[in-house]
Amino acid sequence: MSFFEILEKNGWYFFTTLLSGWPATLMVAAGALVFALVFGLIIALMRISTWKLVRWPSTAYVEFFRGTPALVQLFVIYFGFPDWGYQPTPIQAAVIGLGMNGAAYISEIYRAGIESIHRGQTEAALSLGMTPASAMQHIILPQAIRTMLPPMTNFAIVLLKDTAIVFAVGVLEVMALARQLVTETLTSAPIYLMAGAMYLCVTIPMARIAARLERQRQAWH
Amino acid sequence: MLDLPEIYTENIHRWLPELLYYSLTTLKIAFFSFLLAVVFGVLIALCRISHKRVIRTLAVCSIEVARGLPIVVVLYIVYFVPPQLFPGLDWSWFDDFTGAVLGLGIHGGAILAEVFRSGIEALHKGQREAALSLGMTPAKAMTHIILPQATRIVLPPVGNYAIGLLKDTSLCTLIGVNEIMNGAKSIAFSDYQPMAVFVLVAAIYFVMSYPLSLLVRAMERRMRVAH
Repeated sequence: MSFFEILEKNGWYFFTTLLSGWPATLMVAAGALVFALVFGLIIALMRISTWKLVRWPSTAYVEFFRGTPALVQLFVIYFGFPDWGYQPTPIQAAVIGLGMNGAAYISEIYRAGIESIHRGQTEAALSLGMTPASAMQHIILPQAIRTMLPPMTNFAIVLLKDTAIVFAVGVLEVMALARQLVTETLTSAPIYLMAGAMYLCVTIPMARIAARLERQRQAWH
Repeated sequence: MLDLPEIYTENIHRWLPELLYYSLTTLKIAFFSFLLAVVFGVLIALCRISHKRVIRTLAVCSIEVARGLPIVVVLYIVYFVPPQLFPGLDWSWFDDFTGAVLGLGIHGGAILAEVFRSGIEALHKGQREAALSLGMTPAKAMTHIILPQATRIVLPPVGNYAIGLLKDTSLCTLIGVNEIMNGAKSIAFSDYQPMAVFVLVAAIYFVMSYPLSLLVRAMERRMRVAH
């Protein structure tokens, strides 16, 4: 059977099956994004601390997680954590793994954003009697968000693409279902191409949004 | 509770040589796909700044597609799809290693194309005009004036790409290449020590990638000073 005959006969079945993997893909991406946003902020604040004992572990964390592949981190969590008495479900492992990995990257975005705000702003806030925490919360971060938004959007795209590896720890997302379909029907070309097209339908519009945000940011300056 | 130091002292003399042997394949994939990505990257970047609209559009499309796809999907498409689309040809030479190098190379080409283009565009247009007005051909202006200067600008981002590539080779295990992750999986599950083995693998990746990232950071610092 030729490529198009297969597509005509099974195309709809392929499409609906692959589509049913999207909830898991989006759930992992969203969960990991929230995890990374919260944890990344903590890491970033630790990294700009004046206290060496706080700065050092956060630097080590960022260096280590950026220096090793996400797949290895996922394997450590999914296959390794049971050795410590905790067996995560595939989705939990994926969210924790990609979230911890993402926190390392996102903390650098936070840090660059915070450092883009002039030091005088903090000093002014402190001299007005604000605590360092409330200066960060009310003065620095609200302004830094503008700078951080475009790279954050880009990061969200990267994260969404990274979810394509979590089938390796057993999450039933798009790629997992694509592989199942291939074993089931013994045809691979239309299935993988269709899965790829589905990713493009999400990532290309997101990239457009990121590019627009970046243009707006530059217009502000 | 897991006593990692004890596990390592007992097993490392068996695990480390085996994992290092597998990591040679990892380095080989990274090396060849890097070369391929540079070649593709230059070609696509030149198409991207071409005066012919069709060529430019094709280049933009290929960049958008390759950058929008997860690398795993690129690997799966490059490795599994062509033999099925053209079953009449002889595909016996197309093994998982070749597929991995080709897939990572194509994906990297799209990323590097944008890096190269921004490097070329960072140079003042006057440079090219001056070269042309001195009677150089456009090709000569490119190879003698633009590229030598652009190379310096693009070195740090290319280095960052190389670090990413080294880590991305771990995905080749998913199409069955016998690299370090594959070796680690077989050791981890035959010895029932997943935690210890995968942490060791992470350490090996770190030892490979960290010197590169220090080098890139040194280059970035020098660039900042130069400007």
